[in-house]
Amino acid sequence: MPTISMTQSIIISLVQCILVVVFIFVVVPLTVFAERKVLGYLQQRLGSTRIAGHLGGLTGLLNRGMWKLGKVPVLSYWRGIPGVMGDVMKLLLKEDIVPAKADKFVFIIAPALSFVAAVVVFATISFVPGTFFTFPAWVPLVGGLPVTGGIADVNVGLLWILGMATVGVYGIMLAGWASNSKYPLLGGLRSAAQMVSYEVPLTLSLLAPVLISGSLKFSEMSQAMAVGVPLWAIVPQVIGFLVYLTCGFAETNRVPFDMPEAENELVAGFHTEYSGMKFGFFYLAEYINMTVVSAMAAGFFLGGSWLLPFGLQGVVNPYLASLPTWLVTLLCEPHAIFFAAKIVFLLFVFIWVRGTIPRYRYDQIMSVAWKYLIPLTLVNLVLAAAVRLAM
Amino acid sequence: MKKFLKTLIPFDIAKGLSITGAYFAKVFLTANRAKVRQHVVSEYPEVPAPLEPRFRGRVQLLLDEANDPKCVCCNACVKACPTGCITIEGGKKEGRKTRIPTRWDYEMERCVFCGFCVEACAFDAIKLNDQFELAVYDREELVLGLHGAHNVLEPSPVGKFSYSEEA
Repeated sequence: MPTISMTQSIIISLVQCILVVVFIFVVVPLTVFAERKVLGYLQQRLGSTRIAGHLGGLTGLLNRGMWKLGKVPVLSYWRGIPGVMGDVMKLLLKEDIVPAKADKFVFIIAPALSFVAAVVVFATISFVPGTFFTFPAWVPLVGGLPVTGGIADVNVGLLWILGMATVGVYGIMLAGWASNSKYPLLGGLRSAAQMVSYEVPLTLSLLAPVLISGSLKFSEMSQAMAVGVPLWAIVPQVIGFLVYLTCGFAETNRVPFDMPEAENELVAGFHTEYSGMKFGFFYLAEYINMTVVSAMAAGFFLGGSWLLPFGLQGVVNPYLASLPTWLVTLLCEPHAIFFAAKIVFLLFVFIWVRGTIPRYRYDQIMSVAWKYLIPLTLVNLVLAAAVRLAM
Repeated sequence: MKKFLKTLIPFDIAKGLSITGAYFAKVFLTANRAKVRQHVVSEYPEVPAPLEPRFRGRVQLLLDEANDPKCVCCNACVKACPTGCITIEGGKKEGRKTRIPTRWDYEMERCVFCGFCVEACAFDAIKLNDQFELAVYDREELVLGLHGAHNVLEPSPVGKFSYSEEA
């Protein structure tokens, strides 16, 4: 491995940051669009279809031509995607209202806090262990140098993730308080109580992978959970996955647990007084948080950048060793595309659950967290400890 | 204990997810496919809506071999009509044994599309066709006679509502 100078390492980090930001800002608007379409499909309708037909642009032109030929457009799965552009334009151009009685500084800082806390978590998430790609030799300054799969795959990655995810609660709480209005305040209070409650089982469910892998580094944990565990370690993994996903829904304020913004009770919850791009930051933060929760679930429980979930990869790998080399490289080695595919699938699960389960009552949410999930995670922790002991 | 297990093991959630998942698969696989005739979701203005065989649309007079209306002006349909929206006056024509209508007015604004006139007709001279896009801009266009662009002998000229050229 060649020695890397300061400048080179800064450039490589910048390239990684740009890649991650591009990933986030490609996935998030597509999730917003997919939410409309998938929710529609789940309820036996077509979602948004009417936007491309009457606008200009490429999709509109193609769709019009196909209707003229008497055919349903081939682009019909993508009809409605100009609506996402419309959303972005609306969020950017809408008047940014600050209520007269609001605490101005906190009111402005809250969405930024929420958004930054969501994005910064991606620093320690490693998309693929080891080298992601190597710069070709003709690139000036950094030619021939490897780019690792994560921006900063530090030894306490999990602590960083959990710590920054908790800061996101402040954004919502401060937004509710600074608005100086009763519904946002109630939403903020509820979200504070709910997120503090669910932080406990979330962390406890993540302790099982920590215990089994004996590390806090994202890539090491992911590798240990995917290829380093015996078959019967699947029990604590599946239980932990389900509990983690439940708590993840609660942490991101998604539908079965969307107490902070219960529309029929609290107008819109903590962002009632927000408009324009400040609201847009909350909106973005929600979807980025979804991506973060999906990435962590994929990394720790669904086998990360390996093909098979729940540690099955390590079980089947010895049997696949006799296959042709390119198949072994494809099936047995880690690839970033598998990780991304798992994130996308989990985002679909988020929408799927939203289309299925109605909102819980507030006291039910609390009793589920304290009376069921925390004991369950403790039992799961004992199971994981047993696995660790037997490994 | 039973309640505890029910809360612990998410059977109900799995059941709900499977139901909505089946809906998703059904719509995802059939929607937007031109070859599937009956979609789960119809895209009516663009894709013509499939009609049931017994659909009752607008009243239309049928013609015989000589291109004359089959109607013999027996007024059975006028008597059967609950809203009295049909007015018939009969006349004579060279070479035709039965009478021939000189006036056959049908006031679509009063019609309830019940189909009693078709049942009452002993000569199979009327039918309810399959038209349902019958909106017009002027109320007087709803009174159909034997003559004019919008008459009882032919299907109504249907506006193309699918999409307009001017965005």
